[in-house]
Amino acid sequence: MAKQAGSSTTPEGLVVRVRDLHVYFFTDLGVSRALNGVSLDIPAGKVTGVVGESGCGKSVTALSIMRLVPHPGRITKGEILLYREREKQNGHSIVEEVNLTDLDPQGPVIRSIRGAELAMIFQEPMTSLNPSYTIGDQIMEAILLHQQCTRKEAEERAVDILARAGMPNPQTVVRRYPHELSGGMRQRAMIAMALSCTPSVLFADEPTTALDVTTEAQILDLMRELQAAMGMAIVFITHNLGVVAQMCDTVAVMYLGRVVEQAPVEPLFYDPQHPYTRALLRSIPHVGSRTKARLQPIRGVVPDPYATIEGCPFHPRCDYRKPGLCDVRVPATTQVGENHTVRCFLYTEQGEDNG
Amino acid sequence: MDKADLMQQELLLDVKGLKKYFPVQSGLLRRTVGTVRAVDGVDLFVRKGETLGLVGESGCGKTTAGRTILRLLQPTAGEIRFNDPKLGWVNLERMSRQELAAVRPNMQIIFQDPFSSLNPRMTVERIIAEPLVINKVAKGQELKDRVADLLRVVGMRPEYMSRYPHAFSGGQRQRIGIARALALNPKLIICDEPVSALDVSIQAQVLNLLEDLQAQFDLTYIFIAHDLSVVEHISDRVAVMYVGQIVELASTDELYYTPKHPYTEALMAAVPKPDPRRRDRPIKLPGEVASPVNPPSGCYFHPRCRYAKEVCSKEAPVFREVTPLHYARCHFADELKLRGVVG
Ligand SMILES: Nc1ncnc2c1ncn2[C@@H]1O[C@H](COP(=O)(O)OP(=O)(O)OP(=O)(O)O)[C@@H](O)[C@H]1O
Ligand SMILES: Nc1ncnc2c1ncn2[C@@H]1O[C@H](COP(=O)(O)OP(=O)(O)OP(=O)(O)O)[C@@H](O)[C@H]1O
Ligand code: SF4
Ligand SMILES: [Mg+2]
Ligand SMILES: [Mg+2]
Repeated sequence: MAKQAGSSTTPEGLVVRVRDLHVYFFTDLGVSRALNGVSLDIPAGKVTGVVGESGCGKSVTALSIMRLVPHPGRITKGEILLYREREKQNGHSIVEEVNLTDLDPQGPVIRSIRGAELAMIFQEPMTSLNPSYTIGDQIMEAILLHQQCTRKEAEERAVDILARAGMPNPQTVVRRYPHELSGGMRQRAMIAMALSCTPSVLFADEPTTALDVTTEAQILDLMRELQAAMGMAIVFITHNLGVVAQMCDTVAVMYLGRVVEQAPVEPLFYDPQHPYTRALLRSIPHVGSRTKARLQPIRGVVPDPYATIEGCPFHPRCDYRKPGLCDVRVPATTQVGENHTVRCFLYTEQGEDNG
Repeated sequence: MDKADLMQQELLLDVKGLKKYFPVQSGLLRRTVGTVRAVDGVDLFVRKGETLGLVGESGCGKTTAGRTILRLLQPTAGEIRFNDPKLGWVNLERMSRQELAAVRPNMQIIFQDPFSSLNPRMTVERIIAEPLVINKVAKGQELKDRVADLLRVVGMRPEYMSRYPHAFSGGQRQRIGIARALALNPKLIICDEPVSALDVSIQAQVLNLLEDLQAQFDLTYIFIAHDLSVVEHISDRVAVMYVGQIVELASTDELYYTPKHPYTEALMAAVPKPDPRRRDRPIKLPGEVASPVNPPSGCYFHPRCRYAKEVCSKEAPVFREVTPLHYARCHFADELKLRGVVG
């Protein structure tokens, strides 16, 4: 299952690689094609932003990598590769490739990976903090599950990690229940819990969306600080382009179940290539721009995931579409710059079969 | 120039010393154990045809202020004067239910959540027609025509009127809410976070629509939001609230580029700018927002304020006009040189 690969054959600097991932939800209303061929590279030790409109598949992408796709969803195609460093007896470390798509989602292998190597902060803090246990008990449980230590040591670690998460009075907070904390403090507790086992990838699903700007700024600072200190990769899911610009090293833009552009953060904001990315950046008001220029909305509506769209999923709203091509075939992912890829027929003639 | 120089005819709304307190109850006997000072002394005026932005963090009292101004909530104290097109200046806080009924059509509200603010069991036609029916403005075919007109005004097809809200996207539902608010030809519309629940690409459509309607129907907006870039875009003037009080009120440009209250400065610095080359954030605001049940002594902002001096914990600053039509509630508003948004 876990195939060993020398670092020469593994992609340089990646911790996770997702290729052509399809996740469908088989519901009574029909099939929702939540992910329809997602390809995404997550570099080790960096912050990768995932942006896109509501329903485009950001959360499902993270859940799929964690192998936590809820019923009635299923991975129907594609692969998710995790690259982990393993120490060998002779002191050399080698990179091992684990195909997460092959694992039993309830099996022991993924359970040992989850929490320890892949951790997640969920979109709804109250769904991932159990209201009937204290904050301390919940963090200790996470620690005891993956690390061998006594309860006393686990409690000390819990206080310590809460303190690192900037929690005021961590010794008393460990005895508090989630509802006794403010939104910002709850988010700090969630971060502490997720980081308690020093994962190599942290998925943060809209970790600041429910917070005020000043609290959001505090949490973003904290995440940056911890990320630098612990050297983990963060996958930062958000729909706020401001947060992406402030937080991320590289950005994946999703539209209707696909990654349509992935690039380092500067080219993404200064030289966006995909028509959707360009339109998105034009549609938002920029604070401090001093202009009252009319906003330029993206025309049309976000399509319904139950509908099937022939061709490029963005073509019904796109100003550059090429009839006979964009409405017929799905563009292949094309390299347009260093670590910069885009899926659009403006950059390639090559298409993929609709899948 | 100060406010007295503004012609009374130019104003639509003039609010003074507005307070709205809620009891905090606890235990089986629901004994009152404290008071939430949700709105704690708000002064503001609104000119005809302008958009006044109202910003501040969650729980600072924006919604309560808006609802109290419309007398959807009974104020605890203060004066709410409204310049009714027929009746002239009236004091809303003193009006009876019947008297209010005559003024109400001129004041409407658009709610934040397009998913829960529309009754799911009513067709779009009934939702939009409801205020027209209640106020006996139209019935029969005339009513239907009016609903069709309103749908066209907000950019939707009249054929949609027989559908139910669930058949529409968030942006479309927000348009339906706007159509209903417009039904009675109001003068003042309080927009309570009208685009917060919408995707960014849809936000722009709704903001443009609100701007077009304002020009077309000479509407006045109080625009409540916490997204400072949206507020900058749409507002002529902006009021910043902190723990139930307005701490600064000025024209949008002055407030964003030459703020006079330390909280406004910190708020502006915290906005995440969509520009990866501007990551510097010189001002960081520590701590958490104070509780409106137990606000700090003196200036409510003093425990978090980097400029606080001894007087700040002892004396509450008054809300005053620091430069013409630029108001702030800070002891040092005249002398501080604060940073605005860096564009
Ligand atoms: N449990 C489920 N049953 C059916 N469909 C689902 C389920 N969970 C997600 N989906 C579908 O998968 C698609 C992607 O959802 P996802 O939650 O990943 O979106 P998102 O990009 O995270 O959106 P948001 O910004 O609103 O959080 C959606 O169209 C959604 O309808
Ligand atoms: N009916 C009520 N009873 C008791 N307290 C209330 C009531 N309504 C509001 N409050 C309290 O009054 C304060 C102000 O609330 P309000 O909803 O006006 O804030 P807001 O600025 O609109 O916040 P948000 O940005 O979260 O919408 C809060 O502390 C809130 O808990
Ligand atoms: S592929 Fe065609 S429709 Fe899709 S974004 Fe590119 S130009 Fe537009
Ligand atoms: Mg999501
Ligand atoms: Mg509110």
